[in-house]
Amino acid sequence: MSFASPVFLLALLLLPLGVLAQAAAGRRRRRFAIRFPATGTVAAILSRTPRWRRRIPALLLALAVTALALALARPQRTVAVPVEQATVVLITDTSRSMQARDVQPDRLSAARSAAKAFLAQVPKQMRVGLVAFSSTPYTVERPTRDRETLASVLDSLTADGATATGDALDVALDSLTERRNGRARRPPAAIVLLSDGKTTEGRDPIEIARRAARLKIPVSTVALGTPDGTVPGGPFGQPLAVPPDPETLKRIAEITGGEAFTVDEGSELNRIYERVGTQVGTRPEKREITAGFAGAGLVLLAGGVAFALRWRARL
Amino acid sequence: MASQSRAVAAPPPGAQGPGPMPTAAVDALDLALVRRTAGMLPGEHRGLGVGIGTELAQLRPYQIGDDVRQLDPSASARTGVPHVRQQVPDRALTTWLVLDLSPSMAFGTARRLKSDVAEGVVRVVSRLGVRRGGRVCLVTCGTGSVRALPPRGGRRAIGAVRRSLEEGVATDGPAQTGDGLAAALNRLRGMARQPGLVVAVSDFRDPSDWGRPLRALGARHRVLAAEVNDPRERELVDAGLVVLVDPEDGRQVEVDTGSKTLRETFARAEAERRERLQETLRRAGARHVALDTSADWLLALGRGLA
Repeated sequence: MSFASPVFLLALLLLPLGVLAQAAAGRRRRRFAIRFPATGTVAAILSRTPRWRRRIPALLLALAVTALALALARPQRTVAVPVEQATVVLITDTSRSMQARDVQPDRLSAARSAAKAFLAQVPKQMRVGLVAFSSTPYTVERPTRDRETLASVLDSLTADGATATGDALDVALDSLTERRNGRARRPPAAIVLLSDGKTTEGRDPIEIARRAARLKIPVSTVALGTPDGTVPGGPFGQPLAVPPDPETLKRIAEITGGEAFTVDEGSELNRIYERVGTQVGTRPEKREITAGFAGAGLVLLAGGVAFALRWRARL
Repeated sequence: MASQSRAVAAPPPGAQGPGPMPTAAVDALDLALVRRTAGMLPGEHRGLGVGIGTELAQLRPYQIGDDVRQLDPSASARTGVPHVRQQVPDRALTTWLVLDLSPSMAFGTARRLKSDVAEGVVRVVSRLGVRRGGRVCLVTCGTGSVRALPPRGGRRAIGAVRRSLEEGVATDGPAQTGDGLAAALNRLRGMARQPGLVVAVSDFRDPSDWGRPLRALGARHRVLAAEVNDPRERELVDAGLVVLVDPEDGRQVEVDTGSKTLRETFARAEAERRERLQETLRRAGARHVALDTSADWLLALGRGLA
């Protein structure tokens, strides 16, 4: 919460001033205390009502003053507003290592369901693109608002082939920059790169990452899988170790200003997608919430006055 | 102020004095008091033993040491043995006055202070007490210690009482142990062996347990409890937010007298307190006379005794 005119917070000084004034009034009354032999009876009557109850009106009034002073300073709340034209490209590795079952149920299914959940959850205005790659980026969906197409494309993904992370990243960047041509204001864009292994073919992803950094497109990377993940089909029939390559991915994220994650669980993947979607798809905006404070102040004021009239018959 | 111990000071500020005490009114009160204490006056009450008097109690043979003036010629002649007369003793009434001088007595919002009324009661009763050869003893409490004047008769008693009254009431301060009404009444129990009249003048706001010694005194003496109070102690006036201070223990209470509920509760609590007081006095066998600072206390005293 922030304040548009914080100088009015000085009105909060009314509180200590009020306390001081009360104390001074109390001292004055005590100076002119009335000698009264039946004070004991009065004290016995007063002790029947608890002390805190006698303080309620003053407390309510103090709270009312606080709320009104805060309202005067025009408090603002930061809310996430969906951004028009925000674009996210999901890059999904579909190399053969995605068949590994170290992530429930297997790596590709986890990535698929996380991507679907992401589609269902992001703001409607947001454009989402998809690049699936193995030896080459073979499926390229341009950023679109059509969620159903993307979902069907996701369903059709199969895991086979090598890993050409660099090429995929390059294609994704191209699909984003196409949309930017001829536009003065760049809509916010981001890339989520999900991979589960070393780059085995194509260009060096680090170089492409530098290009993304120049274009100011953050690439968040997700290294999926556990170090002891295996797929069948080694040269001699033994299982083939397919550990993820978090170092390279981390490096890509660092260069482009994105975030790097290492995931070995499907639910975690969901959370990361969600987070990236929120970061790109929404913009923090300050909304004034003065009315709420002023209303609360008025209610408290009315409450304080009512209690004062009810219990002490005076303001 | 509250931490200071009590001391007898000059008459409290605002003291008006007891006001006029017309002789006719005092004489009328005398009659009322005589009627109340009937049975303790010569001829109306059998004293203990024998003594100087006018009424014959018995004749008995002369013994060495007897006053020869008491020889009865007729009886001696009739019997041939010297006889002496012995009379029923003329019992002079001793009036024991217990006066509360605690700081709460220095309060009054009507014609005069409670201490003024108490002073008037003590003066009138002591004036009546010295009639018919009676003796008066004044016991004061509330000034830090219980003080008792020796029982005396005649003008000397009146003078001693007046001098004691002129010292005034105690200054504000906390009560001390052995200084309350209970201590004074206990002291009186030790002093007053012969049946007499005990007049306790107080506002009976004393926190000490004075009911027990008063009951003990009531078994032997006629007890008159003159309760002095002020209309402001019965109900609060609407004076807004005020701080009240107790003159006895210095306790300060901030109270909103503007609240009708509070005023009603206070009046109820005070009425209950006075009911309890009446009950205690009734059980002690004491006659309760309520005197008000706003009214003619002499009249009220007479009515209370009538």
